[in-house]
Amino acid sequence: MKATIITDKEYSSETFQKLQVSIVTFLKTKGFETEFINIGRDDLTYCMGCFGCWIQKPGECVMNDLMTKINQEYMNSATVIYLCPVIFGQFSANIKNAIDRSLPNMLPFFETRQDGSTMHPPRYISYPKLIMIGYGDNLSEEDRQLFTDINKKHRSHIEVLFYQNTENYIRDAFSDIKLEKVGGHL
Amino acid sequence: MKNVVLISASPKMAEQSLSKYLLEILEGMVNSPSLKKNTIDVRKSISHHTTDEDFTILSQADALVIAFPLYFFCLPGILTRFLEDYLNFMKKHEIQSKPMKVYTIVNCGFPEPGINLEAARVIQSFSHHIHAYFRFAIMIGGGGMLLEAKDAPFLKKTWRNLNDAFAKILQDIQSDTFDDIENICISVKFPRRLYFMMGNHNWKSLAKQNGLKKKDLYFTPYQ
Repeated sequence: MKATIITDKEYSSETFQKLQVSIVTFLKTKGFETEFINIGRDDLTYCMGCFGCWIQKPGECVMNDLMTKINQEYMNSATVIYLCPVIFGQFSANIKNAIDRSLPNMLPFFETRQDGSTMHPPRYISYPKLIMIGYGDNLSEEDRQLFTDINKKHRSHIEVLFYQNTENYIRDAFSDIKLEKVGGHL
Repeated sequence: MKNVVLISASPKMAEQSLSKYLLEILEGMVNSPSLKKNTIDVRKSISHHTTDEDFTILSQADALVIAFPLYFFCLPGILTRFLEDYLNFMKKHEIQSKPMKVYTIVNCGFPEPGINLEAARVIQSFSHHIHAYFRFAIMIGGGGMLLEAKDAPFLKKTWRNLNDAFAKILQDIQSDTFDDIENICISVKFPRRLYFMMGNHNWKSLAKQNGLKKKDLYFTPYQ
């Protein structure tokens, strides 16, 4: 089984280092092969909203950079874990770029979800289990709630955690999470 | 004299963008002699490496309006980069923010305007972090149609609502009060089923123009 861990090179704080070590140790004990992708400021071009990934080269971004590897690893992992600096209650710019450019993994069409809202249908039958671990110094309760809402309000099959620098935090936080592929619908 | 800065944050390169179009309308309405206006295009600012000059303009604003499309339920990466770097610029230069009022105009291709709420809350959080005052958001659903069919009779009411919302921004900028104002939701009055049908047909038609067949749209390159 493979786990991909996506991180932000610009926020390699002490908290991040501890979090990274805890994740690697935990995944090793669970028998995962881990792939690390550390994104720097100049590694990804910004999505330009061209929709070429839907109507020119379906399923692939038309810009060839680190994102090609990220999408390849993403779709072939049982779980993908983002270690997310929480900025303004959202993802940091580097992590957000990677999320924006995962658009090729969805289909362009509109569908209605059970709750009546709109969604894009999945391109694939199964997707990795997504886990967002937010971190940052002195995160306010408002920013934590916003980060949770951004991730969970419009999507199922996604877990949101906030790193706490305590012994066994990762082991305990992951205890109820199944690290295996899930169905495609958001 | 109040200094108004309008930020256009569509990630699009050369194509027409609704965010830019809406800001141009708002800009045209800023004609009071008591208001001075500046516009910043985020993509140009970043690609032309002029962010420091633009951050200086931004730091002197009394009011800020940020227009952008919704990307994955929040801000596009390019706008996230701009705002993140602005906060760092403020810290580096020890800039004390003026009591700036902040507004946002968020549009989404999905018909329901409420889906933009979390993006508006991100702008609210940004305002808090730079010690500015978030005032309210204009949240637009069915944004794709506003440009595609902008002169269609069924959109007249939507455009009227947008103009009223823009007037509300300008009125609030010129006011010295900080009374709470609710976010404004604006949607296109159009049958949902037909909107989906037209949208879905449009993707197939665009793909065909690129020499693709319908089945090619479903290609799964990574599995």
